Amino acid sequence: MSIKDKIKELIVEWETERLKEYCQSILKNNEATASSLLKIIGDIMKFVGNQFEEEEIFLPELIGSAETVKVVIDDILDPAIRAAGEEKETMGKVVIGTVESDVHSIGKDLVGSFLFSNGFEVYNLGVEVTADQFISKAEEIGADVIGLSSLLTMSMHFQKQVIDELKKRGLRNKYKVIVGGSPTSEDWGVQIGADGWADDAIETITLVKKLLNISE
Amino acid sequence: MKLKKLEVLSKEEIETITSSALRILETIGIKIDDEKTRKRCEEKGAIIDGISSFVKFPENITKDLLKLVPDSFKLHGPDGSFNFEVNTKTTQFATIGTPVRIYDPKLEKNKLKKSVLADTIQQIRVVDSLENVNCSHIDVWPSDVKFTAVHAHCLYQWAKNTKKPYGLGCLGRLASQDMVNITSLIVGSEEDLIKRPRLVGFMNPTSPLQLPKLMTNGLEVFAKYKQPTIVAPEALAGTTAPVTLAGLLAQTCAEIIGGIILAQVFSPISPVFFGTVSCATDMRSGNSALGAIESSLITIAIAQIARYYNIPSRGPGGVTESKCFDVQNGFERFSTMSLAAQAGINYITCAGTYESSLAEALELLVIDDELVGLVRRAMEGINVNEDTIAIDVIKKVATSEQKGTNFLAESHTRKYMYKELYIPKLIDRGRRSTWKKKGSKDIIERARAKVDQVLADFQPYELTKDLDTQLLAIIKEIEARPIELYMNAEGISGGSVNITGTEISFEKS
Repeated sequence: MSIKDKIKELIVEWETERLKEYCQSILKNNEATASSLLKIIGDIMKFVGNQFEEEEIFLPELIGSAETVKVVIDDILDPAIRAAGEEKETMGKVVIGTVESDVHSIGKDLVGSFLFSNGFEVYNLGVEVTADQFISKAEEIGADVIGLSSLLTMSMHFQKQVIDELKKRGLRNKYKVIVGGSPTSEDWGVQIGADGWADDAIETITLVKKLLNISE
Repeated sequence: MKLKKLEVLSKEEIETITSSALRILETIGIKIDDEKTRKRCEEKGAIIDGISSFVKFPENITKDLLKLVPDSFKLHGPDGSFNFEVNTKTTQFATIGTPVRIYDPKLEKNKLKKSVLADTIQQIRVVDSLENVNCSHIDVWPSDVKFTAVHAHCLYQWAKNTKKPYGLGCLGRLASQDMVNITSLIVGSEEDLIKRPRLVGFMNPTSPLQLPKLMTNGLEVFAKYKQPTIVAPEALAGTTAPVTLAGLLAQTCAEIIGGIILAQVFSPISPVFFGTVSCATDMRSGNSALGAIESSLITIAIAQIARYYNIPSRGPGGVTESKCFDVQNGFERFSTMSLAAQAGINYITCAGTYESSLAEALELLVIDDELVGLVRRAMEGINVNEDTIAIDVIKKVATSEQKGTNFLAESHTRKYMYKELYIPKLIDRGRRSTWKKKGSKDIIERARAKVDQVLADFQPYELTKDLDTQLLAIIKEIEARPIELYMNAEGISGGSVNITGTEISFEKS
């Protein structure tokens, strides 16, 4: 079995600990570099994402695989890449979260997993995230995109507040701001001055790539 | 005989699920975001640890608080002339949902537009005209109104456009106190409002096991003024709750009971609904699947569990994920409504909505009213006695010497036809030639004609000039509030607020 096939098997079975051990042994034996393992995992996650889009697998399978991969990258590959003095390849950095007064997380987490599966570096700030928290994180990590989620008609107005706060701080043009969530719409995105709106996780990938001028 | 209630749980299974729910409340607890509310629970015997937000309710405390819950209450319209009882035996039908878009046949493209206050008013007027749908709620979200003043605008329109009660979300203490203050003005006094409740609050715990601050802030006000509140989490099987329906039921019962007993902590003998809007997850999109058959299984189980506690139940019916007026829209809305009614849900909501209750169509609203008529007829079952068996009439017609005699002109037919046969107004059962002569219209077009007629005939209810002036002044005052005041009032940015009666004062923490 090739390295790629073995990693794929462990990812789709959510074998987090075994995948960590396997990656560690490969690095230890110099069979591959951390960067090349990251590339392999990226390709596999793209395949998993495609399977989801084609409705061959469903949400739990996608999210479970993405979570397995995230742990392995955070615990094994990222430290190894840093230790080797290499620069991590990324499609872009995205800060996402659910805005203030809203505790709904599933849609936003799905978007996060999808972005992650497509090679983006994702900073998921959770729920009830304030404008200051979004902006501070974006500044800290040098984000390209800020993604604002809302599930409530009452909370969607806090999406606008983040955009207004960015303007107030003179940072509006530094980031692409995207919005989403059940009660929101393309019109709403335009109305509050967002750079884009997407209806679901798959559309979000297309939107972010377009905003960052990444060819499909 | 009447239809037997549809059941999916045995008595032992109900006890297994409810005892699991009580065990969850005792051992895991329920997360209550607001610190003051946690302290109030502690005063009633709940356990807090001072570190996490979880409040644990020992089983005996939960059971004692549940004993305080009323098994019936009445809801009234603005002037009290229209009213109905909610109890554990009958079924009432209402709207509810959060449509942010509304169907408009005049539009060329997808015939869907962002909803505005004018649409909200039309929805209230149409509900006012309906025979079977007895209560409207803030369904159609007015996007052209400042979001912190939506409740004030809607209540003003409620007073002018319907005789039926009204429902609003318990969205914070500031808005909820506004609702009480405005409604008290409309009905004459706070005492009258408390004695004859006009408002239905809805308080949605967030699954798993969380009572958000905004909602508990609002619940406190609704409980204080004894306005009935629907406690209804939307637990999704496989995303915000276990994918196993039994697990979802145990969790969501803990959430419902948590909300219900909190209302009793705030104010004993507070009227509440044992509510659900829990459903399956669409595993392709993560979307809620209200129209799924598993969602109806959950609704049926909740009807049984609510009866076990002798608390009026609320469940969704007439719900669908369909984005258009297709066969899916029809079969999901009828199956969810019919199954909820057969299960004995006491307050069935969501008439007029589609697309997971995110879209509204006034056409569907009047169709749902007719579907309720069908469902009510089904629930009456078959009346069997000597007179309804009618052997004499059969003999008379069958043995008549006149050829081709039938039952049409029999007095027995006239006596029973309206009781035995529900005669629909929108459903087409005629001959093709007649249908063609009438323009070959489908049910949506026929429903549109009815909506147009209702709206054309509608006469608003007059408010006194003095009341009208006062209400407009309150709306203006609420609209002028800066958003920071709202955030501070709800503790969204660490603020706190004291509210007493109609006077609202703020203190910064």
